[in-house]
Order: sequence, then C-alpha cells, then structure tokens
Amino acid sequence: MKESREGKKGAFVTITACVVLFFLVVPQIILLIQSFTAEDYLMFPPQAFGIRWYAFIFTDPEWREALGTSLIVASISTPVALLLGTMAALALDRGPPAGRKFLRGALLSPMLLPHVVLGMALYRVLLPIRLDDTIPGFVGAHLLLCVPYVVVTVGASLESFDRRFEEAAQSLGASPFSAFVHIVLPIIRPGIFAGAIFSFITSFDEFIVTYFLATRNFTIPIKIFSSLSYQLEPSIAAVSGLTLVLTAVLSGLLITRGGYGRTGQA
Amino acid sequence: MGVLLTDSVRPPAEAGQTAGPSLAYYQAFWTDGVTFSIFLSTVWISVLVTVACVVLGYPVALFMRRAGPRMRIVLLALVVSPLLTSVIVRNVAWLLVLGHEGLINTTLRALGIIDQPLPLLYNTFGVVVGVTHVYLSFVVLPLFASLLAIDPSLEENAASLGASPWRVFAHVTLPLSLPGLVAGVTLVFILSMGIYLTPVIMGGSFVTTLAMTITDLVRNQYDWARAAAFSVMLLAFIGAVLVLSYAATRQLTKARGKEAAL
Repeated sequence: MKESREGKKGAFVTITACVVLFFLVVPQIILLIQSFTAEDYLMFPPQAFGIRWYAFIFTDPEWREALGTSLIVASISTPVALLLGTMAALALDRGPPAGRKFLRGALLSPMLLPHVVLGMALYRVLLPIRLDDTIPGFVGAHLLLCVPYVVVTVGASLESFDRRFEEAAQSLGASPFSAFVHIVLPIIRPGIFAGAIFSFITSFDEFIVTYFLATRNFTIPIKIFSSLSYQLEPSIAAVSGLTLVLTAVLSGLLITRGGYGRTGQA
Repeated sequence: MGVLLTDSVRPPAEAGQTAGPSLAYYQAFWTDGVTFSIFLSTVWISVLVTVACVVLGYPVALFMRRAGPRMRIVLLALVVSPLLTSVIVRNVAWLLVLGHEGLINTTLRALGIIDQPLPLLYNTFGVVVGVTHVYLSFVVLPLFASLLAIDPSLEENAASLGASPWRVFAHVTLPLSLPGLVAGVTLVFILSMGIYLTPVIMGGSFVTTLAMTITDLVRNQYDWARAAAFSVMLLAFIGAVLVLSYAATRQLTKARGKEAAL
C-alpha cells in the first residue's frame, strides 16, 4: 500500500517535471522549424522548406548592419569586461576586508536593478556627452551588465583557490607577475571562460538598455523588436533562429567545457 | 576599475533623477489614477509569474534531486538553457506557438475542437507564459540547491514512522527547502517587476507595466522628472521586497537554530 503511494507521488513528480521541461524547450524547436520556411508568410506547418530567409538576412542591408553592430559590440565588450571583471574579482578577493561587502554589492547591483532604470540612467549620462547611439556608448552600457557576471564567475574560481600555491611560487623566486601568469591564471581559467561566454551572450541579447540609447544604430534584438511592430515575418524567425543557434552553441561549450552550470544571476 | 566604472556612471544619474522640482511627481504616482493602477497590475503580473514559477519549478527541482548524476547534468543544462538564450528570441518563439495562426490554434482547429482561435496572446495570460518561461530557472536553481542539502534519512525516518509521502513532503521536505524557495521567489518577483520586453511583445497594447510607462515617458514624452520619480518608486518597492525577504530568511535560520537546540 505504502509502496504504491510512494510510486504515485514519484510518477506525479516525474510527469509534471517532464511536462515543464517540454514547455521550456518546445517553443525554440518550433521557432527553428519555422525559420526554415520557404514561404512568404509564417504558417504552421510550413508547406516548403529552404534556407531562403537565412540568405535574405545576410543580404538585406538593414539586417546585415544590425548583425554587424551586435557582433562588434559583443566582441569589444567581452574582452574588456573580462579584464575589468577579473581585476575587480581579484581586488575583492585580496583587497582590504573593510567595505568589501559594500563594493561587492555595488559591483553586482546591475544584475538586480531593473534594467529599465539602468537604461534610463545611462541614457541620461551618455546623452550630454554624445555617446548615445554610438558603438562606444553601447559597449559602455553592455560593460555595466557584463562585468558583474565576470566578477561572479572569476570570484567563484578564486574562492576555491589556495593562496599558498602562489606564495610558494614566489618564495621559489618567481616574480609576482610570473606567479600570477603561471599559477593564478590557469587556476581561474574556468571562471574566465564562463565569464567570457556569459558576457558575450549578455551583450548579444541585451535589449532595454541599448533601446534607450539607440536611435539609428540598431543591434539585433532592437532590429527584431522594431520589425515585430510591423509584422511577424519569416526574416524575424530566421534571425531568431540564428541567434538561438549561436547562443546554444556557446552555452553548450560552457556546460560541457566549463563545468559551470550554476553561476547564473542567482 | 570595475567599481569606478559602475559608480562613476550611476550616482550622477541618480542625483539628476531625484533632483526633481518637487514631490509633485511622487504625488502623481498615487493620485493620477493611471499610474497606481499600472503599478498594481505590474505587481499582479509579478505575483502570477512567481506562483507559476513555483508550481512548475518545484516538481522539476524534486525530479532533478532524484535523478542520477548523468541525468542531472542533462536536466541542469535544460533548466539553465533559458538563461543563456535570448529573451526576445524566446518571445518570438512563443508568438509562433500561441498566435492566432500559431501552433496551438492551428492544431486545435484542424482537430475540430474549436472554430474560433483561442485568445492566447495579447493578454495577461500570454505575458505570464512568456515571463515564466524566462524566469523559471531562477526558482529551480536555488530550490534544487536547498533540496540537495536536505539529509534524505530525515524523510526516510518520517516515512518509516508511518507518514504518507504527501505528509513527508508537507512536513519535512517543504519546510526544509524554504530558504531556497524564498530566494527563488524573491528573485523572480523582483525581476518581474522590471519587465519591459515580454509585455510589449506578448501583451500588445493590452498589458501595461511600470517599466513600459517609464520607457514611454523618457523616449516619447521626454518627461524625465516624472519617469525618474516613478523609477525611484519602483526601486523603493524592490528594496522593500528585498528587506522583507531578508527578514524572512533570518526568521527561518533562527527557527532552525531553535529546533536544533531542542
């Protein structure tokens, strides 16, 4: 009797969990299928398949420009965020303990603050110095959002790092710099790797903060958004499909190579 | 340097924000009749999203806890994947599923179950589905961490003393997982209060959130002072929620300490 009730509860949990996971994954699969339509309009199921709309987004000047802007901004933001974030994480780990909690809070606050408020504040700062709607402006804004991820991921690697290795290397005659390069860097590499992927994806996906800044220069999410207000066209599905594949590949790398499943916003 | 970067950008902006001419805009928040109702509807959506995340996320966390190590990684990847795929892309995907010509309506019509398309989009339902999809993992992850920390022998003991599986869950598992639950709920609720993109895409013009009002004020009406006042209200509300959640966590730890002492 008890066994069967345990079984019933187990089955309930399993079934619900599977339904929920299905709910997590299915829309993206539908999107991918739809993006390969060869028709003029989106309908389900598509009557014919092809890569027509993927070809379109690479030839259409507006989509190409948006793709270019997004790639440039993400490729600049990522290394800079890595540099700043790693330095900040090191400072938090080694700096004077006074005010450490406050500094950490200040550094990570962009993760919790509503991005609408952040976007508005940034717009207000960047507008008078004419950095709105420019690539440096976008990069600056994205840095604000990417750096916290790097601080978290690198900070997590540093926590598990035994300082004595570094001290041992230095006592054996290594300069602080070479001790850093040969001892610290390899150990925090998984954190840097994870931070890089989070940064790139965050920058590539960021919407609302950039939306405040952008008037003519569009990144991909903004271009998708502004096209959506006319009609849900197959080109939107194709761009979304492309973004989906790109981010999925990067996250796959992260999960298989980095061993970081749980360094999200939490 | 990261500190410099974040701090150099924020305070001047914040100072500019609060230096409104008077408290008139704060007053408007409560009394202009529209803003406060928008605020309430934002809270309502956030509550719905949070409830949906807990109801859907709890079984997933339980399931992950019971899964074998290899299965667990697959599940973890599935749960984390939404964090790593574009929000706007997932919203577009839902448009394709829920829209009038979307997957669900087309299928149901083809099966002859309905003749009119169901109104699945451009209402609160659509927005809640979209946001829940984005934030579900924020509940699952802390819950999973909390569940992992529970000693399974506690549950086994309860069961061997004759408690039904549901009672074990209600009296042992659930209370012990509360810290994770509180963390997840707080996170999702706070994040939902600031949503802009999903309600615009999936709510059409029928759902308005505070974030949408703020954006509109800045982008289209150049009414900085009003937008700033509303932002400060939003921040204050979020701050209050954080304080509450912190207090709840402390209460939990205290209660736990007492039990341990007994």
